[in-house]
Amino acid sequence: MKFRLSVILFLPALAMLYAQHGSTPDRPFSTPEDEAAGAQSFRSQCAACHGGDATGGVVGPSLATGNFKNGGSDEALFRVITKGIPGTAMTAFALNGREVWQLIAYLRAVNIGKAAEQVKGDPTKGAQVFNANGCGHCHTNGTAGGFVGPDLSEIGSHRSLAQLESAVLEPDDDVGPDYWSLRARTKTGQTITGIRLNEDMTSFQIREASGRLRSVWKTDLASFEIVKTSPMPSFKGKISGRDLEDLIAYLASLRAQTNTEGQAK
Amino acid sequence: MKHFLATVTICGLFCVSAPAQVSFDRLVRAQREPQNWLTYNGNLGSTHHSALDQINAANVGNLDLKWVSQAQSLEKFEATPLVVDGVMYVSEPPNTVVAIDTRTGRPFWIYEHPMPETTYVCCGNINRGVAILDNTIFVGTLDAHLVAIDASTGRKKWETVVADYTQGYAVTVAPLVVKDKVIVGPAGGERGISGFLAAYDAQTGKEVWRFNTIPHPGEPGNDTWPGDSWKTGGGSVWVTGSYDPEANLIYWGIGNPGPDWNPAVRKGANLYSDCVVALDADTGKLKWYYQFTPNDEWDFDSVQVPVLADLSWKGKPRKTMLWGNRNGFFYTLDRTGGQFLQGKAFVKQTWAVGIDEYGKPIKAPGKSPSLSGTDVWPGVQGGTNWYAPSFSPHTGLFYVTAWEDYHTNYFTWEQEYEAGKSYTGGGARGPIPSIRREPFIKWGPEWGYGVVRALNPVSGEKVWDYKMRDVSDAGILTTASDLLFSGNREGYFFALDAKTGKELWKKYLGSQVAASPITYTVDGVQYVSVAAGHSLFTFGLKTAR
Repeated sequence: MKFRLSVILFLPALAMLYAQHGSTPDRPFSTPEDEAAGAQSFRSQCAACHGGDATGGVVGPSLATGNFKNGGSDEALFRVITKGIPGTAMTAFALNGREVWQLIAYLRAVNIGKAAEQVKGDPTKGAQVFNANGCGHCHTNGTAGGFVGPDLSEIGSHRSLAQLESAVLEPDDDVGPDYWSLRARTKTGQTITGIRLNEDMTSFQIREASGRLRSVWKTDLASFEIVKTSPMPSFKGKISGRDLEDLIAYLASLRAQTNTEGQAK
Repeated sequence: MKHFLATVTICGLFCVSAPAQVSFDRLVRAQREPQNWLTYNGNLGSTHHSALDQINAANVGNLDLKWVSQAQSLEKFEATPLVVDGVMYVSEPPNTVVAIDTRTGRPFWIYEHPMPETTYVCCGNINRGVAILDNTIFVGTLDAHLVAIDASTGRKKWETVVADYTQGYAVTVAPLVVKDKVIVGPAGGERGISGFLAAYDAQTGKEVWRFNTIPHPGEPGNDTWPGDSWKTGGGSVWVTGSYDPEANLIYWGIGNPGPDWNPAVRKGANLYSDCVVALDADTGKLKWYYQFTPNDEWDFDSVQVPVLADLSWKGKPRKTMLWGNRNGFFYTLDRTGGQFLQGKAFVKQTWAVGIDEYGKPIKAPGKSPSLSGTDVWPGVQGGTNWYAPSFSPHTGLFYVTAWEDYHTNYFTWEQEYEAGKSYTGGGARGPIPSIRREPFIKWGPEWGYGVVRALNPVSGEKVWDYKMRDVSDAGILTTASDLLFSGNREGYFFALDAKTGKELWKKYLGSQVAASPITYTVDGVQYVSVAAGHSLFTFGLKTAR
């Protein structure tokens, strides 16, 4: 009986303790200490697939964008961690409730888009730099822009400030396979170029500069090469100083909509 | 200046604007380019008939599997693909759009719509297909949005909220493009929705007009709903309509009234549930309607495809609409004014003693759903349903997948409406599952069976039957070489002689065919594609690459 009473007395005290540490009232185990414990769990349980800093790995997507494909609410994250996602490599994890909540505390803390809060430049002026340099000719931004380069609509949720700056100044440093090009000559002497969308043993699927989608049989080709450099020119020396800071601030502001409440857009 | 030059240099290499692929003019004349499949039913008259004839009765036995595209989702694959100049655009469940290379089956791009954690759609996470205009693909989503996607890149152009999904609305229908508008409506007939058809500007996604399939107060037809019953009256939209460019009318089949099995709370005709409505394509104004099942008590959605056929009627040419209805009757209507021309039962039915000279059904006594249950033919999935029928101008016949001698036991009870939740006022019991859940076939003909049935659209009489063991949710494709392609729950995909119904070829695909086949050419060679199970199968003659 005494024991039960002490438990009852202890619970409000525990709640107060959490409150003092800035814990989220609806989510237990979300103090900075829990977050640190969650980071430990992440490294041992999740990083192999989702990357050491949760920005994505060889199997799992980035968990640092604030937008979760299978639901971003506490309830959805808890369900995904403990039950897995059928039909995917995300299996259920045998963690206790406390460990799961601590992991969620960590996931709430890692959000690459938060870097936008540390920018030196002015995103409004950065938008002008973006437009003045014709970036939109090749890059989609929202529902406008070109399709030669990557879609930048949510780039601030996927790239750190340093990565954004590097992409502007040294575009060849990090060209993902989604943007490698096919340059080929057919046995009949025709030249074929386009963004390589897909390649198997027998064929390529490409998007030509006109936007036309087409495929090519490898047996019809006399020669081909995969071009892994970026068609984007370096803006080193062209955009610098305050302009560069403003542009990076603007790119960092282009972020994914978070779905932590479990609602549609 | 330097920046300008850099931009010009890059543009010289890459910034050519994407080609305008499919003008509305091409959609209107889709039958003249049978190498493509440009709309949900192949043409705006929805005949699901192709002018291709390379595959014919003599060589169909040589059909060979060319490629399979497996969906990432394990949900039911009901979509009909489009094919445009060698690229196939198809929606996989729940509403993922894939551009596929028709030569290899490999994807060019995949568009995944971000979904809320929960949707409230009835009867499966299903999408029936996409539409195209110029270089834009349109798809509806289970959270009741309409999305425009760039056909070259798979990137979203715009997104519009059609309705509030938390109230049970969802978009599963393949959109219909007419001129510069994209037309869709919401599913949710078992969720107490109040339905509508809406047209959106293809460029911007802005709503241009809306037709309430359940009339609101002050609109004609609202007086067929007592009190506030119109607010939960259903009238869902989940199968694509047709368009007649000469009349500038769109024709669309409307779903059941709600609650499905308790008509006591909605005494009256319940317009425009179970109707075909003819709307002015520019304004959405009602030109005429015809109601197949007034005050429906059995969930006889009239969501079938309106098939437009120009027939010789009593010696004179007549613009007609052919309709094999879920209620078990086959109708021929005049599509300019909506006049009833003929209506005959095409499967066993017991809910009506017949149709009067004005086209109104005469209900049979004692067939209403009851607390203890009432046996009625056809059963809850109807004499036919959403899958495509076909009309062949070559044979002059209408072909429909039918559930013959099939009944269920309908029951009713009182039910309070709660937003977003099931609102049916009863249900139906029967041995044949309404939606296939397992691979076994354990019932026999005593419970009903599937047929491909050829009907004469003038007399309404049956011409031939192709009988199956199990029922079927597969649509029908006919070709100019008088072949008919369809499939069934048994997992067979087959080709018949469209003149006689004789089986010419069949292949077991390992899971049910619950979709409508299409045909097109790749590098000048005819292919046939159909979804089965969780995959899309493509066949061509063995001589093809």
